Amino acid sequence: MTTATRAPSARAWAEAFAEASNTDAEIQAHGKYFTCSYLLDAAERSYVIQVESGRVTGIAVDPGPLDVPYQFAIRASAQTWREFGTPVPAPMFHGIWSATFRRDMRLEGEVLVLMQNLRCITRQIELLRIVGSPV
Amino acid sequence: MSKISPVTGHYITIEVDGLEYKVFYLENGTGQPLVCQHTAGCHNHQWRDLLEDEEITANYRVIAYDLPRHGKSDPPENTEWWKQEYKLTAEHYVNFILALCDALELKDPLFMGSSFGGNAALQLALRHPDRFAGVLAVEGADYSPGFYLDWWQHPHANAAQVCASGTWDLMAPQSPESDRWKTWFYYSQGSEAFKGDLHFYSVDHDLRDRLDEIDTDRCPVVMLTGEYDYLTTPEDSARTAGRIKNGKFIEMPEIGHFPMSENHARFRVHLLEALEMLRNPAAAPV
Repeated sequence: MTTATRAPSARAWAEAFAEASNTDAEIQAHGKYFTCSYLLDAAERSYVIQVESGRVTGIAVDPGPLDVPYQFAIRASAQTWREFGTPVPAPMFHGIWSATFRRDMRLEGEVLVLMQNLRCITRQIELLRIVGSPV
Repeated sequence: MSKISPVTGHYITIEVDGLEYKVFYLENGTGQPLVCQHTAGCHNHQWRDLLEDEEITANYRVIAYDLPRHGKSDPPENTEWWKQEYKLTAEHYVNFILALCDALELKDPLFMGSSFGGNAALQLALRHPDRFAGVLAVEGADYSPGFYLDWWQHPHANAAQVCASGTWDLMAPQSPESDRWKTWFYYSQGSEAFKGDLHFYSVDHDLRDRLDEIDTDRCPVVMLTGEYDYLTTPEDSARTAGRIKNGKFIEMPEIGHFPMSENHARFRVHLLEALEMLRNPAAAPV
């Protein structure tokens, strides 16, 4: 099964992402009220990331349609996320604003919650440059 | 031991369209005036490294002002501005720049603006070509829709952080982290003006049908845009320059929407090239 053979790497990515976020100096310095849940949708993979007071407390890997609630979604093709997951992303793949304005990324759901947490979300997504692509 | 910068600051009071403004500007250097406009929702510290650039200030009098409602330039002195929504127009913006240049008694100034200042540079070239020896439109275009957003002032979000982090992705990852964070810091200070500035940038500014009216014999135009700019892309600026007779365009690799603030060391290389183009338009490639 495709899902079964790919699951360990997805789980490993989720653990590395959580570790990177929970030890990141910027997020830990400014994340006292960084609390939200969001879907990172990479088409071939998806994750619901739960953050409470600046700490990633859970990541659901490839959740079913109604398995895990989330407040907003960041959706893009697998290829776009792979571009995000490089140390120095190419132009337009260097942030959620640029990829939303100029590529296939979409910001959906409670965008207000995204804006309320924008500083730390921006940093968290940039951690992909270190952790690598989620897909 | 202290080290005092040669950059000095002054206030000057001017009247524009019946509004009285006490304008703050920084300056350094001698030679042809180079009048510098910061980006929307920001202030003149974006030009901090240009103001102390010894090579450029040896030949140019660099003047970087704060547009009213930004930095140390207050909103108008003679109106109850707090009872009105701020929505910058091309007309008022252009009139302000002319009034400031008049008040400073500048002779044959160059104008350089970035982002909404780059768009203003095009407006000046179109409307007042005899007032400037040339304009440098940094990150400018004929039309730049899409950024007049309510998020910049939404009361349920932290406007300072939304403005600062909402513009973060406009910078190139190659730019020095400390300079990107200074730019972020400036943006955390300007949320009340940012949206109103963007009324000009994304709504009132539209030169798509007027570029052929720009007379570069009277006012040469050089445009410079960074490859990481997602708002005004190099394609947007190249298209714009291409529709201006003898308009020049320089693409800047590994730089974003705030060249002078995010990476002056890289920007200055292209700026020197652009200044040479203005000095000798006939020799410059299209």
